[in-house]
Order: sequence, then C-alpha cells, then structure tokens
Amino acid sequence: MTSPAPQPQVRVALPRGDLRAGLAERLIAAGFVAEGYAEGSRAYRFAVTGRPEVLVRVFSERDIPIQVALGQYDLGITRRAWVDELLTRYEHDSIVPLRSLDLGVERIVAVGVPGTDIARLAASGVVRVATEYPQLAARYLNRLRIPAYRLIEVWGQAGFWPPDDADLAILPEDVSALAAEGLATVATVHTGSAMLIGNRRALAERDLRAALEPLLSLPIGLLDGGAEEPRPLDVPRGVRVEAPVHRDTLRLAVPDGHAQRHTVTALADAGIVLDGYEADRHVRRPTASIPGLTVKVLRPQDMPAAVARGQFDLALTGRDWLAAHLAAFPSSPVVELADLRRSRYSLGAVVPDALPAANIEEAIAYWRRDDPRRPIRVASEYAALADHYARERRLGRYQVIPISGASEGFVPDDAEILIEGSETGTTLRANQLHMIDIIMESTNCAIGNAVRPEGARGELRDDLVARLQRAGELVEA
Amino acid sequence: MAQQDEDETMTDDGLRSRGMRDLGPEAMRRFRAVERSFLDVTGGRGYQEIRTPSIEPLHLFTATGALSPQLLDRVYSFLDWDGWSGERVVLRPDGTVPAARWYEQRWQTAEPARLCYVQPVYRFVPGDGEREQWQVGVELFGLAAPEADGELLMLARELLEALGLRDLAFDLSHAGLVRAVLGAARLDAAAQGEAYDALLAGGDLASLPGVTAEVASALRLLSAVDGVGAGYFENLKAALLPIAPGCAEGIDQLAAAARVLDAAGVAYRVVPGTARNFEYYTGLTFRVRSGGAECISGGRYDGLGEAIGGKPVPASGFGADVLRLANLAAASSAAEGAR
Repeated sequence: MTSPAPQPQVRVALPRGDLRAGLAERLIAAGFVAEGYAEGSRAYRFAVTGRPEVLVRVFSERDIPIQVALGQYDLGITRRAWVDELLTRYEHDSIVPLRSLDLGVERIVAVGVPGTDIARLAASGVVRVATEYPQLAARYLNRLRIPAYRLIEVWGQAGFWPPDDADLAILPEDVSALAAEGLATVATVHTGSAMLIGNRRALAERDLRAALEPLLSLPIGLLDGGAEEPRPLDVPRGVRVEAPVHRDTLRLAVPDGHAQRHTVTALADAGIVLDGYEADRHVRRPTASIPGLTVKVLRPQDMPAAVARGQFDLALTGRDWLAAHLAAFPSSPVVELADLRRSRYSLGAVVPDALPAANIEEAIAYWRRDDPRRPIRVASEYAALADHYARERRLGRYQVIPISGASEGFVPDDAEILIEGSETGTTLRANQLHMIDIIMESTNCAIGNAVRPEGARGELRDDLVARLQRAGELVEA
Repeated sequence: MAQQDEDETMTDDGLRSRGMRDLGPEAMRRFRAVERSFLDVTGGRGYQEIRTPSIEPLHLFTATGALSPQLLDRVYSFLDWDGWSGERVVLRPDGTVPAARWYEQRWQTAEPARLCYVQPVYRFVPGDGEREQWQVGVELFGLAAPEADGELLMLARELLEALGLRDLAFDLSHAGLVRAVLGAARLDAAAQGEAYDALLAGGDLASLPGVTAEVASALRLLSAVDGVGAGYFENLKAALLPIAPGCAEGIDQLAAAARVLDAAGVAYRVVPGTARNFEYYTGLTFRVRSGGAECISGGRYDGLGEAIGGKPVPASGFGADVLRLANLAAASSAAEGAR
C-alpha cells in the first residue's frame, strides 16, 4: 500500500508550446522560477525555487482552462481564446479571468477563398465551417444570424478544409500559412493574448499568495480583446437544405503526422503511387497516377467523420480513430474496409505501477475504499472511447477529462485512469505505469462508407481496397 | 409531507444535475391541478393537446431566427448518434417553434388550428437556477388579428381566473409598432438587429444608436408614457404617424385589444416602447400579471410558418411556467383562506 504524497498547497498550470519561452522569461523576472520550465525540460512537473508550497505542471494550452475549471489546478496561464472557448459554453463556470498578459497575442479569424462573402454563402445554403473552436464559432455564427450552418469540429489545421470541404475555417490567423493554402481572412472572430486565470473556489477559500503574488506582477497586456460582436447579416430567414454530394472522382484521404511514414509504405506495397506524398514531406493535394482518383492529406483523427459526411470515399487512418468515432456516433455509416496491419499498438487503461490492483475491478474497489461515491477520473485524448470504456467497465460515477496531448503524468495526480495507446510499453514502464486493461489492438486501416459507391467509383474503390488488403497481408502478423 | 418538496432545486452531492428539480408528491399535486385547469379551460375553447419531441434539430431554431443569439448560447445543443454529419440537435428550448413545425407538417385542413401543450423547455441558467421549465402553452394558427388576439387575451384571463388568481393586469405592446419606427428611423437591417438586441437587453428605444433627434422626440411618447385609455391611441397616432405611417395598423390592433379588455373590465396598460422576444413576434404582444407577479406572456408571430419553410399563416399564442402558476395559485388560495 502506498500513502499519497502530501499535496502542495498551490497548483499552477503552465502552457507548453510556443508561449513557453516568452512566458518563462517573464516568470523568472517576476521571481517565479519553475525549475526546468525555461530550459524546455521534457519533464511535466516542476518545483518552484524558494516556494516549496507551489507545484507547476505543464499542459497543452487547450487543457489549462479545463484543469482550472475542474479545480485540479488553482491558477493557470494560457491563451484567452481557449478560456473563452470554455466560458462561451459554460459561462458561469468556476474560472475567474485575472489578468491579460503582454505575450501570445492572437487573432481567431474566419477564412475562406479570397473574396468570400459570408452573407451570400448564408443566403444560398448551409454554411460549412471547419474549426477547433466550436463554441466560439457557434457564438459568432449565431450573432451573424446565419440561418443554417454546420460545424466541422477538427483536431487542428482547420485551414486544410476550405474551399473543397468547408466554406470557411475559423482558426488562429497565420497570414503566410493562409496564403500558402490560397485562403484569406474574411472576418475577425476573437482577439486575445495570454491570460492568467484562477479557480473561483480556490481564490475564495484558500491562501494562494505564494503563486498569486508573483503571477499578478507579470507585465499586463494592453489588449483587452475577447469575442467579437459582429453586426447581424441581412440574410432571409428560412430552412436551408444541404445540396447532395455529386462527383465523378473517388476521393481518398491520407494522413499526415506520425501515421504518414507507415501509410507511404502501405501505399507503395499496394502499387498506389501518389506524387507529393513521401515519407518525410507532402503537399496538401498529392496527385495520383490512377485516373479518377483525387487525394487530400488530412489529420487521421478527422477522417472517419469526413467519410461519414460523404466528403471522402476512402481514408487511411487508425482503427483507434475509427473506434473513437463509432463510440461517439454509433449510427455512423463508416466501416473498416481493409487492415493495413502497420502502426500497430495497444490502446487501453493505464494506471500507476504502485496501484495495488491486479485488474480494473480491484482498482475501482481500491479507489472507492474510503468514499463509495468518489468520481473516478478518466483522462484521454479519445474522450468518446474513454466514456464508452467507463460505462462498459461499470465505473459508476466517473468524470471524463478530455486532453489534447501531453498526457504524460496525468495519472496518478490528475486522473485515476488514462486511456492511451502504447506501442511497446517502454514509455509506460519508464514512467512507472502499466496497462491494466487492453481495450483494443490498433493498426492503420482503410475506411469507407458501408454503402459502396455506384458505377465506376465503386469499381475503383473495390480495386483500391483489394490492393490495400494485399499490402496488409504482406506484413508479418 | 411538505418538507419533501423543499429545496427542490438545490444541488446535492452530485446525485442530481445542476439546475434540475425534483417534484415531490405535494408539488406534483399542485402541478397536476394547474395542468387539469389548463386542459379543461383550453379544451372548453376548442384547443387540442399536442406533444412535440424533446429533441429537435438545432437548425429549426437558427433558421427561424426565433431565438436571440444570446438565447442560442444557452441551449442544450449537442451531437447525437447521427452527429457525424456535424448537425447538432437541441433539447427543446422553446415550445412555439416545434408547434409551428407540427402545424406546417401535420395540419391538413384550412380551418384554424387551436393547439395546446404541457411540456418542458430546457435552457442553461446560471448557478442553481432552473434549467428545465415545464410550460403550458397555446398556439392559434390560421386566425388573424384582431379576432385571434382578442380570443387569446380572454383565454389567458379565463385560465388565470380558473386557477383562482386575482388582481389581473395586462401589459400590451406591439412588435410591428417598434419595427415600423425602426424602419422609419432609416436603420439598415444590421442596425435594426442591433436595436433589437439593445431592446432585449432592456434598452430604451429613444436612446438607440442611429436614431435621429426628430425620431427620438416622437419616440418619447412610446417610451416614457404607459397608456391606459382610448385617448392614448389618438396621442400615439398624432406623434408617430407623421414619421412612421406604417404604425397605423399596429396602433389599431393595440386599440382593438384594449377594447376587448375594457369590455371585460380587465385592467391593462399599453407599454409600446418595450419589446421582448422581438425577433419572434410580429404583432400584438402581451404579459399578464397577477398581484404584480408575471404569470403569462405571449403574442403574434405571423412570420414563423414561412421561416420553417411552410406557407404564410397568421399565428399567435401564449405560454406560462406551470410551477410559477402553481405557486401563485397556492399563494392566492392561502390568501383567500386567511380572509
């Protein structure tokens, strides 16, 4: 049996990513030295020099408002857009915005092809909007009084979606990246900088001085910002119906990121040559040697929904993302068509080695030994899968904590269970963690609609699926 | 037994969702008493009960423009099993829009449709406020002002009297009047939208941005004086028609409603400078108070049918919070007993 370590009195969540360097500099100047934060240490937990009562933990920017709202962290610094993304939906939640800081200035904008007129789009049909900020986007579109819109919630790189797969994207403005995609800013949705936030209850009840004093002395930002209040568009009301998809070509989505290398090999084994999609580089729309086939590079996470919507006929993604999609949307028409048998890893429930339990049932009993109604926290990038797992394993009262990367160290301090993938288990072992329950074995696979396209497109899909299946069979089981 | 019903909206150890309330036996007896009175009174006037789904497509509410952006921020919308399409659904945030959809899709005859319902609406409310509100409501499709307006005013009165509520007073307003004035002020569509939002937030018409001094001067009568008699409508005409001839119809409809209330001996005041749910309503709007407490609100919304994709149809209705009515009825009954 292990006894829990004494909890530091003040817990502070700081961002990783591109805010880190500038913020670390200012923190040092303010006398708040998180040891290793400035140096970009790979650690996720830092002591603070001369302030033993303070603990610093690093999170993705997006996760910080959630952690502070949950009360797991008392104070946090992140970009205001992520704070407002949460507060837009849950406006009287437990977050108190304390101070805008003089770094991390950012504009969230609506982009489209140059000359895009939102009023004309709204008058003519359903406006499709790709975004990582669904709450800010919905707020903006509601204020424009757009009669019908559809949010395509993506994991990132919303700028990849217009013009062929969305009319607009709402995303942080990056002028050169937009120009490279052939897009231009149409409107501003939100402005803000980095922001210090606090948990309302912690501020109301506990002495946070050890961190609050230095953090409140950080240079204040001049930009007030916040969500824009656009003037309503003069668009006739009325129901709009989305036009059905008609196309002659078969659309294939291939992944970027970690999955790209294995996919390139699988495509080569299948005899499918894509010009502009190599192991280490890609263009957004590679060209295929096969007539009637068009290709686009997308995030693998976003592929199942894109296939379900009919935007793609075939997509190469991971079985984990297909399972996550089906856990969220059980009536989705997407099915696995071929197993490519690469990118193999296990997805399961990760717990600390120190947990005195041989299986998940014993673990649940251990967590609840003192308080039978205690919520069990399940953290995961795969929120819908985590939810499904918690129900299937009868966790009783539980909380799903969505995280967007930087899952290291979530258990045991910030969650009881982490739903996570592991290829070899090496990283888990290094962190004194292990998988107590395996949910699934994931490999990369080809997915498509359960209903085969008609005519030549259907024949081409059959041919590609057969080739990909054979490519999968080349891999040793 | 009454203690079972106390603190029904308090959150308790996470065993009940925030803003949701239990109704114990006593509260249910009062709830059912209101429901019975409502169905008896409306049924006696030819209203037929309907029930619409708890879950509706969100676009039904965005397309009709029936809810303000601020209210749309507070609906329970989510992606359901079919949410891969990106299309959100919503827990019914309002009773009228689904009833209008039902009428467009299901009503087969040319006769007016007199419909009523008892069902909850769901909206986020800050803190521990109630997020599930049971409503009784009536909708009258196919009958135009002023006949339908008079029918609804008398129906509201009959219902409240059946519940034993006393000291009834009606507040009358007219959305078309406000709209005509904003049009006369030459505000473009976007500025009118902003003006609506300012009004929804409790703003004063005369101080809206873009309103000229001349229009503002004429608007004083609208915003500063509450009318209580026939002479008021003549004064309104004198002040408003020179700058906004389109107001004539609205003033006549208000006067007609006032005549109905005068004839029935019911107290009222005309408060034309206020507008609630402005985008929703097109004609007469009204609120009824009992002993100062608001208990019913409603009005005319002739544009809704078309916005849903159906034919243009005159439409009006009112709604009330069942539990508020039950509490007012209980208080009124207790006061009677004490006399």
